[in-house]
Amino acid sequence: MKDLTIRNLSKTYFDPYAGTNVTAVHDVSLKVEQGEFVCIVGPSGCGKTTILNMIAGFIPYTGGEILVGGRPVKGPGPDRGVVFQSFALFPWRTVLENVAFGPKMRGVRKVEREQIAHEYLALAKLTEAAGRYPAELSGGMQQRVGVVRALANEPDVLLMDEPFASVDAQTRMTLQEELTRIWQEKRPTVIFITHDVAEAVFLANRVVALSKGRVLDDIAVDLPRPRSWDALNDDARFKELSNRVLQLVRSA
Amino acid sequence: MKQFLLKMWSHCVRLAARWPSIASIAPFIPVVAAWWIVTELQIFPRVFLPGPVEVVRSFGSLVYTGILPAYLQDSIVRLAVGAFWGVALGIPLGILVGLNKRARTALWPLLLFFQAIGDIAWLPILVIWFGYGLTTITVVIVYTVIFPVVLNTVLGVRSIPITLHRAAQSLGASRIRMLWEVVLPGALPNIVTGLRNGLGYGWRALIATEIIVGTSGIGFLMFDARRSGSVVEILLGMIILGILWYIVDSWILAPIERATGQRWGLVTR
Amino acid sequence: MLWRLSSALWFCAPFMVLLVLWAVFIPYFDVNPRLFPHLSSVVQAGIEGVEDGTLIRHIGASLLRVAVGTVLALLIAVPLGVAMGVSPIISSFLTPLFRFFSVLAGIAWIPIATLWFGYGFGAITFVIFNAVFFIVTYNTLLGVSTIPLQVRNAAASLGAGRWAMLTEVLLPGALPNIVTGIRTGLGFAWRGLIAAEMIATNVGLGYMLFVARDFYRTEVIVLGMIVIGVLWLLLDRLVLAPIERATIERWGMVQRA
Repeated sequence: MKDLTIRNLSKTYFDPYAGTNVTAVHDVSLKVEQGEFVCIVGPSGCGKTTILNMIAGFIPYTGGEILVGGRPVKGPGPDRGVVFQSFALFPWRTVLENVAFGPKMRGVRKVEREQIAHEYLALAKLTEAAGRYPAELSGGMQQRVGVVRALANEPDVLLMDEPFASVDAQTRMTLQEELTRIWQEKRPTVIFITHDVAEAVFLANRVVALSKGRVLDDIAVDLPRPRSWDALNDDARFKELSNRVLQLVRSA
Repeated sequence: MKQFLLKMWSHCVRLAARWPSIASIAPFIPVVAAWWIVTELQIFPRVFLPGPVEVVRSFGSLVYTGILPAYLQDSIVRLAVGAFWGVALGIPLGILVGLNKRARTALWPLLLFFQAIGDIAWLPILVIWFGYGLTTITVVIVYTVIFPVVLNTVLGVRSIPITLHRAAQSLGASRIRMLWEVVLPGALPNIVTGLRNGLGYGWRALIATEIIVGTSGIGFLMFDARRSGSVVEILLGMIILGILWYIVDSWILAPIERATGQRWGLVTR
Repeated sequence: MLWRLSSALWFCAPFMVLLVLWAVFIPYFDVNPRLFPHLSSVVQAGIEGVEDGTLIRHIGASLLRVAVGTVLALLIAVPLGVAMGVSPIISSFLTPLFRFFSVLAGIAWIPIATLWFGYGFGAITFVIFNAVFFIVTYNTLLGVSTIPLQVRNAAASLGAGRWAMLTEVLLPGALPNIVTGIRTGLGFAWRGLIAAEMIATNVGLGYMLFVARDFYRTEVIVLGMIVIGVLWLLLDRLVLAPIERATIERWGMVQRA
């Protein structure tokens, strides 16, 4: 696990319909410490997914720099694991094979990589599903596999792009609690993108509010861990922090 | 009476559920029966429309003399060889065109056009180039099979969601491994569909080619029978063609298509 | 508009390259015109064919046969397919039968068609009719029987009578399949046409090709191939594919090549 530094990051692209240059991300700087859990919150179109895609190396950036453990980002790589909103599991591989994919690319032998995969599947209580295909699982189960697949590759930074946006409310709460548990166990460096303020406050050590491609503010979340929705639903501090973030996002 | 019929019906349903092939044979029984009755009543002259009995008899004699097995083997081998080369050339070409934008601008319009010319229109010039022989037939079949395979492979490659490429990249897959791990399996259901279509066209092209330039094969058998005015053998040829393709399509190709597509949730059919 | 124009130009560019290569390399390597013609002689043949009317006559004969065969087939196939598809028992019973016959579509009928109808218009139209008829019937049947029962129930509970059910639910619901069937069927019919014309007539594009072969007139053969390709491309891309796209893609179903 390593730290992540973003300095004066910006992204400008040419919009052929408008015929002008559009700035999607504007001079964003952010430092994420090793083992920290940072949520980036903002309304749709605020540039949060663009930032994540640039960190992941899927799209090039036009200004500033991104450093993972001091080394600049050039294209996608296994040092940054990604969890996608659409899950992006390989439909032609079983759950086990999906999780073992990263180790396989590193050249880990079959027996070992399956052992690794089983270990991580157990972490997310997925042992039963190992032999099934993604299409045979529910959305919540699929995203568990997505998270575990990224973790099993032991990335320096874990990037999560609204991973729980396409599952139902009940499942989402379970997944959030599980994620905090797994994070406490493995302590990865996490950047988590969401438009759900409560989700951000629930998960993060630090919430970064974003609007129109700029950072509005950076709020530390000092809630105790382990966190659960039963405990936090009526927690005064949780409500206070959530309201602060909400007002920030809405005022912009 | 009604009770009895219902009971019969439920027996039929249970039988069909246990052996699904019975359900696909059953509808042919009334057709064959009607055909038999029509010929027995001599509605059309016998020379124009012989009955099932004659066809079965000629089947027997053609098998006995060894002509039918030999011709059948010729046709199947030709189709298999053509299909093999069509796939071996078509899949790589399709992946290239699907992944590379330059290759696509350069080749896509040509692919559409050459597909449109159609296999059979090539026959006259192929006969001039290669004469009446196996080369001509093979070229025609490869030509027929390759286009559906290429076009469907391109479609399959292009339909792979970008997030799957990204997921594989961020899990550390190299460009070469991406081909094997993402592109090929992602496009596979479409490739199988392409192969299925391609063989469908290839089959017909084979028959046409055998009719026009062949010296053996089922198509030749039918046209040879046409020349000597033997409707029995023409009908026999048609029935063999139908049954053979039905077997290939529904017992080999369709299951493969389902096996790849359905469990992966990529094909809903 | 500009975008459409440039994409059309990009579409044509590879053909231009191909024509230039043809014009340069065939004379350069001094290829025997009995093996492959010069570009100029193909153009020459085209001009002559238009001037003396033979080319127009061949094209006209081919298109007429396709049109008559297809229209006849559609007039019978669509109503028949709908009628059979309405009942799940009948449709599941008849499906194998129609699959069997759609496999035989087109070319396999040539020998017997020529015997029944003699050489000429009748036999060829019959081949085309067969190619289109079975595939369209099969697809219509499939289309109607795959309309979700819920949709039919919804229409019925909204007060749709028999006629409204047919025109508002069954036909539109089966339309994507019908169109796909027509496109596939015509694809087979077009190939069947060329093959049948090589064997069984004295006018038409297939005949033109086959006769030219006897005299090693490769320029006529290549001209014929180009005409066949262009005609089918125009028919498929400008008429059939847009209709298919308009129904299938807008209604959120799959696309295909």
